This record gives sequence, C-alpha cells and structure tokens, in this order.
Amino acid sequence: MIASDTTPSPAGRAVFGLAALPLAGLTVWATALLAGDGSATFSVTWVADLDLVIAFHIGPMAALLTVIVAGIGALVMVYSAGYFSKDAEGVVRFAVTLLAFGLAMIGLVWADSVWTLFLFWELTSITSFLLVGFRNRRAEARAAARRAFMITAAGGLALLAGLVILVDGTGTDSLQSLPQLEGSEAGIAAVLVMIAAATKSAQVPFHVWLPGAMAAPTPVSAYLHSATMVKAGVILVAITGPAFTDVAVWKNLGLALGGASMLWGAIGALRHVDGKQILAWGTVSQLGLMIVLLSLGEPKATFAALSIIVAHAAFKAALFMVVGEVDVRAGTRDIRELDGLARSMPIAFAVAAVSGASMAGVPPLLGFMAKEAAIEAGLKSKGFGAVAVTALIVVGSVLTAAYTLRFLIGMFGGRSDTPTEVSARRWPMTMPAVALTVLSLGGYVAAGTVTTLVTRAAGTLDPAAAEFALLRWPGFTVAFGLSAGIVVVGAALGLVLAREASSPPAAIGAGLVDRGIDEVVVTARRVTAQVQHGSLPVYLVVVMGVATLAVAPFWFAVDLDVLYRWDTPVQPILGLAVVVAAIVTARIDSRLGAALGLGGLGIGVAGLFATYGAPDLVITQLLVETVVVVGFVIGLGHLTRRFPWADRRWLVTRVVISVATGVSVAVALVASRSQPNGTPPREALVTEAVQTGGGNNVVNVILTDARGLDTLGEIVVLAVVAIGVVALGAAGGRRRIA
Amino acid sequence: MNATLVVTVAGLVSVGTYLVTARSLSRIILGFSMLGHGAVLALLSAGGPAGETPLADRSSPEEMSNPLPQALSLTAIVISFGLTLFLLALARRQNALSGDDLVEDDLEDRRVALLANEESPEPVSEDAA
Repeated sequence: MIASDTTPSPAGRAVFGLAALPLAGLTVWATALLAGDGSATFSVTWVADLDLVIAFHIGPMAALLTVIVAGIGALVMVYSAGYFSKDAEGVVRFAVTLLAFGLAMIGLVWADSVWTLFLFWELTSITSFLLVGFRNRRAEARAAARRAFMITAAGGLALLAGLVILVDGTGTDSLQSLPQLEGSEAGIAAVLVMIAAATKSAQVPFHVWLPGAMAAPTPVSAYLHSATMVKAGVILVAITGPAFTDVAVWKNLGLALGGASMLWGAIGALRHVDGKQILAWGTVSQLGLMIVLLSLGEPKATFAALSIIVAHAAFKAALFMVVGEVDVRAGTRDIRELDGLARSMPIAFAVAAVSGASMAGVPPLLGFMAKEAAIEAGLKSKGFGAVAVTALIVVGSVLTAAYTLRFLIGMFGGRSDTPTEVSARRWPMTMPAVALTVLSLGGYVAAGTVTTLVTRAAGTLDPAAAEFALLRWPGFTVAFGLSAGIVVVGAALGLVLAREASSPPAAIGAGLVDRGIDEVVVTARRVTAQVQHGSLPVYLVVVMGVATLAVAPFWFAVDLDVLYRWDTPVQPILGLAVVVAAIVTARIDSRLGAALGLGGLGIGVAGLFATYGAPDLVITQLLVETVVVVGFVIGLGHLTRRFPWADRRWLVTRVVISVATGVSVAVALVASRSQPNGTPPREALVTEAVQTGGGNNVVNVILTDARGLDTLGEIVVLAVVAIGVVALGAAGGRRRIA
Repeated sequence: MNATLVVTVAGLVSVGTYLVTARSLSRIILGFSMLGHGAVLALLSAGGPAGETPLADRSSPEEMSNPLPQALSLTAIVISFGLTLFLLALARRQNALSGDDLVEDDLEDRRVALLANEESPEPVSEDAA
C-alpha cells in the first residue's frame, strides 16, 4: 500500500499531465460535436483483401459517451498524479496503460462496425487486465487480474460468436442501421451478446471478478469500474438492442440478469466493511439497473438508462476518488477503523456526501432526476412487467439509499477522542472529485441542457426516446411519492445497518471460477509437459506421425496403373542392395561399420543414377560419398567404437512411425503421378540449352545458366559449411572442456 | 512410374526416419544422409521413365530422360553433402565437450515440463483487499 507520509511525485505529475492532454482534447472536441448536434465518420483500412475496415462513426450517442470516457479519464489522470507517492514504482507504465485503456474505450464507443466494436472490446479487456494486475508483485492482484481477464475474455468469445450470427442474419456489419434479427438464430445471438455484456458489466453470476479487481490502484477503480469498462456491456446492450427488440429471450434474460445484479449487488454493498468494496458492489447493482432499463426496449426506459449512465459516471467516479484519498491519507479504508474524518477531511466529506446523495437519488442532484426517470419508465412499461419492474427498481433503490448512508457514516462518522490521523492534503486528488461533484449539482441546475444532450444520444438508439425530459421538480406524482419513500426507508435501513459488523458475503461462484481457472492452468501445464517435454526424438516422432496423417487423403488418389516394374532388370538388384545396405547401416553396432555401410549405400544409389542416364549425378554422388565416409572416420574417430544403448529405447514406436513415414512418401509420390498436370518440357529444355545456353549437356546448362543464381547460392552454402566445419574443428582441438 | 524406385525410396525414408529419431548424433547424421538419398531418388522417379543421357548432340528429346530432375537432384546431393559434413563437425565438437555425442533433452523444455508437478499455480485469495 502507499505509505501515507510521502509527498506526491513531481515526475509522476508531469507524466500524468501529459497523459491527460489527449483525453482533455477529446473531451472538448466531443462536447463541441454533441453541442452542435454534429457527427463525424472516418475509417482506416486494415486488411484490404478481406474488406476489413476499422470504421468509426461518432454520432450524438458516441459523442456523449466520449465526453464521459475522455472527461473522466482526464480527471483520473490528474487524480493519479496525487495518488502515487514519490517512491511509487512503474508510474510511467501505469499512465501509459491507463491512457491506452481510455483510447481503447473511446474506440469502442466510436465503433461503426461490429468487428471494430469487437476489436476494441478485446483491447479494453487486455488493458484492464494489465491495470488490475498493476501491482504485479502481489499474488492477490495477479489472481484478481487473471479472474477478471478469464471472465471477460470468455465473454469476448461469446460476443464474437453472437456478432457472427448477427452479421450472418442481418447481412450488415454496420452498427448504425442494425435491422431486426428474426428466426431461431436471433435467440442464440441474443443470448450470446447478453452474456458478453453481463461478463463485462459484472452482472450476476459473472460479477465475481469486480470485487477482486479492487486490488487495482484506486485511479483504476475510479475509471474502469465506475465510468468506463463496466459500462461497455451496458453500451453493447444499448447499441445492439434495436436488432433484438422482438426477441423475447433478449428482454427476459436482460431483466433476469439485471434484476438479480441490482439486488445481490446492493446486498453485498450493505455487508462489506471495505469502502472500496462497498462501492464495487454498489456498481454491480447500478449496472443491473441500467441493463434492466435497456432490455425493456421502451423509449422512456432507454432515455432513463442513458440519464443514469451520465449521473452514475459523475457520482461513482467521485466516490471512488474520495475512497482513494481516504486510503492514502488515513492509511485504511475499513469503515470499522475510520473515525472522525468528517472533521479532518471536510472537503472529501462534502464531496462524498453530495455524490452519495446523487447516488441515493436525493434532490437537488443529477442522480435524483435520473432515478425519477427510471421509476417513471418502470411505471409506464407495458404488460405484467410494469409492477414487477417498478417493484424491482424501488427495492433496488431502497437498498442503494441504505448502503450509501452506511458508506457515508462508516467512512466519515464517529466522534471518539481518538480520531483517525490523516496526512497532508493532496490537491490533485481533491480537485477532480470536487469537479465531478459540481457536475452532479450543475446537472440538476442545468436540467434543460442535460436533457438536450441525453435526448440527442437516446434519439440515435430510439427516435421515440428523444421526447422525454429530465425534470427538476416532477410535482406530486406517483413516481415522486415512491422516490421520497425510497429515500426515507433507505435512510432508516442505512442507519440500522451502519455500524453492523456483518461478515462480507462470499462472492458466490468466485471460488468456483478460481478453481476453474486453476484447473485450466494446471491442465495447460500438464499438456505442455506432455507435448513440450524437450526430447528431440519424440518431437520428430510426433512430426512424422502428423505428416503421415496429413498424407492420408493421398491414399484415395493412388492409381496403381501408372506404375511399371523397372526400366532395366539391374534396377531391382541395385534397389535391393541399397535398402539392405540401409538396414545394415541402421542395425550395426560399430560406428566404423555404419560409415562403411553408408558408403556402400551411396554407391548403390550412384548405380541407380547410372541406369537413369545421369552420368553427372553418378560422378557427383561418388565424389560426395567418398568425402562423407572420410568425414565420418575423421569426425567420429574420437567417439567410442560402439553406439550407446540409449538408441534402443522406444524401438517399436520408432519402427512403426518410420515405416509409416516411408510408405506415406511412396503413396504421395504415386498419387502425384496419378494426377499429372502436364508433360515434361524436354523439347523446350533442349532447344533452350542449345540455342540460349550454347551447350549440349542439358543438365549442366540448366545448372549454370537457367538456375545460375541457385547454383551460386549452393556454392555459398558450401563455403559457409566449410568455414563452420573448420571453426568447429579448431574449437574442439584447442579447448577440450571434457 | 518406376515401382522399383518407389519401393527403394520408401525403404530409404523408413530407415532414415528410424535413424534420425535416435539419441546419438552420429546415427542422426546417417539418417539424414539416407533421407537425402531418398529425396533424390524420389525426384528422379517423379521425372518420368529412364532414357538416354540428356545430351543434345547424342540423343533426341524423345529418347532422353528428363533433364530437369537431374539438375534439381545435383543441387540436392550437394546440399545434403554440406549438411552431413556440418553435422559431423557438430558431433565431433559435442564429443569434445561432453565425451559422447548424445542429443540431450532441451533443458528449458524440461523446466517448463516440471511445472506440471506443482499442485496449484499460485495461491488465489478469496477476496482481494
């Protein structure tokens, strides 16, 4: 953990300042785009031959999300400058990875084709893995990073499959105009995409990675786990939703996952004692609410979901920043240990109180208006859902209000004589949280402007969603009555549970996921130990075995009629001699005998060349064979006379594989002859040799003229071999280590 | 296609494969040499039936054997010759260093394989603080 008495690092400030610049620039640009109701489109051709294009389209929705992602990113960079102490390691690595994540996230919201979306989706998974595991010397950080990555990567695979079905069914990969998907494929695609969204947005039962991911430095939690990465799933549901509006399983699965997450996340938040864990579980709950609203697929609900995305980004990032500040300055974030911070950290307390109130849905704050819209959407939803969805939202909101109050009392309350000691204020940590809190307030004041921006974005998803507005004062409606009731009941519940030292809920399934991951890793190691065991002979046996299998199709192409017995009766005699010489060479125990056997074999092969009318080959072969035998005698002269016993192991396997390889080569040869695709160009070669090459020995002309460059390369190879042989020989002669 | 040659190729490749899967480097060299012979004979057999020596002034294109595989074979013979000599030098060096010419298991691979004996990859805490 960061020691609380060190001052922030100046070098870190410079790095984070530099990293904040592009994000700040993007924020300004996207704000201007959104305010002007404009859009931008551009693309980069990636693989032209595959029509693979990285396509971006920044409409109002993407612009709004860019403002959130880039804006909070810039603030988090400023915050990080204060978070890391002078002696912190890897600050540059952290800043670069965080910036890479931010840009990947922006690419995700800009994506105009499903493939671009997928690419950046995976990039956010990878950068998030690096960020969660940033403190890579701590086992729990590594485990948490691995767990998060395994779950989100599995979701990525589901997403890929879902997108393939989607593109196959709709015939387009553009996200701007997804037509409705119908038929049995639609259900499968809907389930796959929804599962992908649930893994990324930490929905029950895939939420188990998010609490563990709190092992990351707090800036990561403030950025990834409040405003950005966990929203990726919600964004995915939002933009692919139009394709699935008529698919019942899409809506039902979304309601089930989101509803379960809303309740279970809130319960988790009520039982944890670590401030960061409370917020993490609260995030699971809030994301559940967004998924519920978006899967309804109704205009009002879509509008409410986007409002909550905006409000949540502001208050949750601010709350994470406050927890990080408490952690750094007080040395702990356990609500059982903290005491009296409301007096010693007044600004942090004010920020937490206002942002927390926004989270609980208390006026006059942005969160209140968004929650009102959500309740309205629940009441207005069609069919049996109206009651159920409204009840779900109300219960979730009561629990949210309760854990918010418990969080505030736990972190800042207490009046004992020994308040927790805190170190000096770090302004870079305070200011971003203050800025976000001002936004939560300002959003309420400027409800009209926020409405304009949100409706523009919602209009891209559902034109009918553009008609709604966020209301500062809704009047005494049913929704307002529910809202007031929620805050009162929630506050009472929060007070009751405030100092309750309940044991945190075991993240159901976390153990199972970890065991699963462990099992994968262990299995991978076992498999690796089997396939990469280091024995060259076994590698070769495997390679040859696979090659034999690869030749299997050739068996069906064999036409035995292309075979004839021999050209001259001498050939079978020579052939037999060659094979016998080979077997003798292989079986003989004496090294010298083997060398001589190889020589005899070479002479037999030279004889076969002679029957083929190839005198050049005969001469070369005899020369080469002589030198090789001499080489064997010189080279192996120092070795023991007999071969070592080790060569006798694996005998049967080796013999079987060897014979199979030999037969396969023969089969491939005959099969290739059975399907001729032309006749040898003898005439042309001869004419060419005489007229162009000016020689009558066709073979020689081919070598020196037509394939002159090859022959030059061959000479170079021999020269290199000669140098190598001399060098190795000299080395062996001078320093004998054995 | 010359059946005798095809059978000879099969025999050479079989014995060659058997030898290159041995532990002793000198046997592997013998095996490589045989695989080289097998490859050259395969080239020849693929080029068509035997015929007269391909000399333009002595035989007509119809009578002569296919000159192209012969040209390719010459290169193959020379390259496998170079390879054999280099391997021989390596075997000699190996002997100077270790007293034998056995191909040892790759140490790095053995180290990777040993990981499989560990019980758990690393301790996984239930809830990271």
